[in-house]
Amino acid sequence: MEALLFYIFSALTLVCGFLVVANPLTRNPVTSAMFLVLTIISMAGLFVLLNAFFLAAVQIMVYAGAVIVLFLFVIMLLDIHEVEKQPVNYFSVTVGMLALLSIGGVLIKAIVTSGVGDGLEAVTVGSTKKLGLSLFTDYVLPFEIMGVLLLVGMIGVILLSKKTLR
Amino acid sequence: MNIAASILEIAVIGLGIAVMLADLWLPREKKIWLGYAAAAGLALILFGSFSMSGNPATLAFGDMYILDAFALFFKRFFLIAAILVMIVSIEYSPKFQTGKGEYFTLVLFALAGMMFSASANHFALLFVSMELMTITFYVLTSFLRNQLLSLEAGIKYLILGALSSGFLVYGIALVYGTTSTMDFATLREKSALMTDNPLLLVGLLMIIGGLGFKIAAFPFQFWAPDVYQGSPSSTTAFLAVGSKAAGFALLMRLLFVAVPEITLQWEKLLMVIAGITILYGNLCALPQRNLKRLLGYSSIANAGYLMMGIAAMSASGSTAILYYLYSYMFTVIAAFLIIILVMKHTGAEDIVHLAKLHERAPGLAGVMTLSMVSLAGIPPLAGFFGKFLLFEAVIEQATVQSSYYLLAAVAIVGVVISLYYYFGVIRTIYWGKQQMIPEDIQISPASKAALWVCSVVIIYLGIMPERLMQAATAAVESLKF
Repeated sequence: MEALLFYIFSALTLVCGFLVVANPLTRNPVTSAMFLVLTIISMAGLFVLLNAFFLAAVQIMVYAGAVIVLFLFVIMLLDIHEVEKQPVNYFSVTVGMLALLSIGGVLIKAIVTSGVGDGLEAVTVGSTKKLGLSLFTDYVLPFEIMGVLLLVGMIGVILLSKKTLR
Repeated sequence: MNIAASILEIAVIGLGIAVMLADLWLPREKKIWLGYAAAAGLALILFGSFSMSGNPATLAFGDMYILDAFALFFKRFFLIAAILVMIVSIEYSPKFQTGKGEYFTLVLFALAGMMFSASANHFALLFVSMELMTITFYVLTSFLRNQLLSLEAGIKYLILGALSSGFLVYGIALVYGTTSTMDFATLREKSALMTDNPLLLVGLLMIIGGLGFKIAAFPFQFWAPDVYQGSPSSTTAFLAVGSKAAGFALLMRLLFVAVPEITLQWEKLLMVIAGITILYGNLCALPQRNLKRLLGYSSIANAGYLMMGIAAMSASGSTAILYYLYSYMFTVIAAFLIIILVMKHTGAEDIVHLAKLHERAPGLAGVMTLSMVSLAGIPPLAGFFGKFLLFEAVIEQATVQSSYYLLAAVAIVGVVISLYYYFGVIRTIYWGKQQMIPEDIQISPASKAALWVCSVVIIYLGIMPERLMQAATAAVESLKF
């Protein structure tokens, strides 16, 4: 059952992820953003299968909810017809595909030949309680640095988007 | 937990918040004093750092944070760099229409990220400190938001930086997946037994890619010239010195402390990266007309020279890197300070604006010449001795593995090419044709002091390198070669 769900969710992630960047039917950015939502939701499914319930919930609430809404706002504020009219740059598509294939090839070969997961024990670390505990004990330093990072983000956004320069 | 070990970073973050709050109450024309206050605060912190000792190493926060001689060496390096950059920023700040106080704050936060990264003994801290530094730089590069070039630089740095961070995280995930640890000490034991696990190797390669972006090594160097040219000159100076040094600190700790057995297999890879980076940087610098772009390519070439020290995989190679970083810091910051002073009102920083500088400001012309000569590696200046140490470390290895001779030869070719463009700048200063009416050059006392310090240190390090060599050797001892 778990294996079946894993294959369903990972196939969905891959297909939707592909449709975000290269949709053969339409080049409308809004469609891409909606497929991004689907990608994120199916990734949340993968997190659930890994017992990382908190991460799954955060994935849906923060990414599928808040972040994508912001994306959509930005897309709708810009002129999307401009984007649709732009010709496809075949050079960058080819180079991108080459890079993708070579990195993918190396990764797949590495995964096949290395015997992934041999000798590892299954550990459940994803529950909310455990996550909270380790965030505030073992990982307290990175956690605090993230606080500074958020402050930097806020300063940056205000500075770069403030309407009047004074 | 041992909070006292990270007191320097806490002090820097505290200083940053204090500057930000003080910014609220200061009237507009007095904001420049925030920069001086920040520089003075950093000088105090630097002074305080000499009461700390990295020997024996102190571990803190569940062994995630390490304070050893190596970390302390880099922390002092970053502090000195930030003090000089603060003076450079004060000189540049009239160009900011808004947010002078915020600029100084952000420089301090980026500094905190660099200082944390020098102490990273765990992938989580490595990533978070790296991001604190990089995300702050996204804002610092696009700070001139009414100038298209600056925004372009910011966007380019943001997109490529985000991509490289993605690779870094993916690599960390793969390493964690194969070894089930993110701690460098544990990884050292585990990776010694898994030197041929392909997935671990792919993961480490991706991490090297992510760090390679920060130091602008080939093939992760495409962002450097555009970002260097477009961002405010003070940001460029900090980016060239601080970001690069932080990348090297992390790279050295990762390669020589966390996965030494695997690093031994990668001498060819590291040599190729070093060689191509040197050639790419130097060859592309040749046709440049813009001084900041030229320094961008020169910084790529210098990343290549520094990679030679990594490729040598020896204590002497690492000592040479630490020494070279110091000499590079003083020369580059002096150069950027002069760019700001001379080209205050010209739009683009073209080399021709330096023409006949020796008639307008003989002192500045002298310091610029000094820094270009040091970058080119002419004795008896600091740059020469740094390059000498790097070559020595590589030749030392060549007795074991002859392909190191090839790397040394490539590097010598690179140095010879670089003579052309560095001396092109000097030629313009003394013999160039003036194209417009020269503007007066006014130098504030702080900038004058900074230029004096830089030029004295450039000469001092070239003539009497012993003190710094001793400190660097002591620092490298904690890398456990």
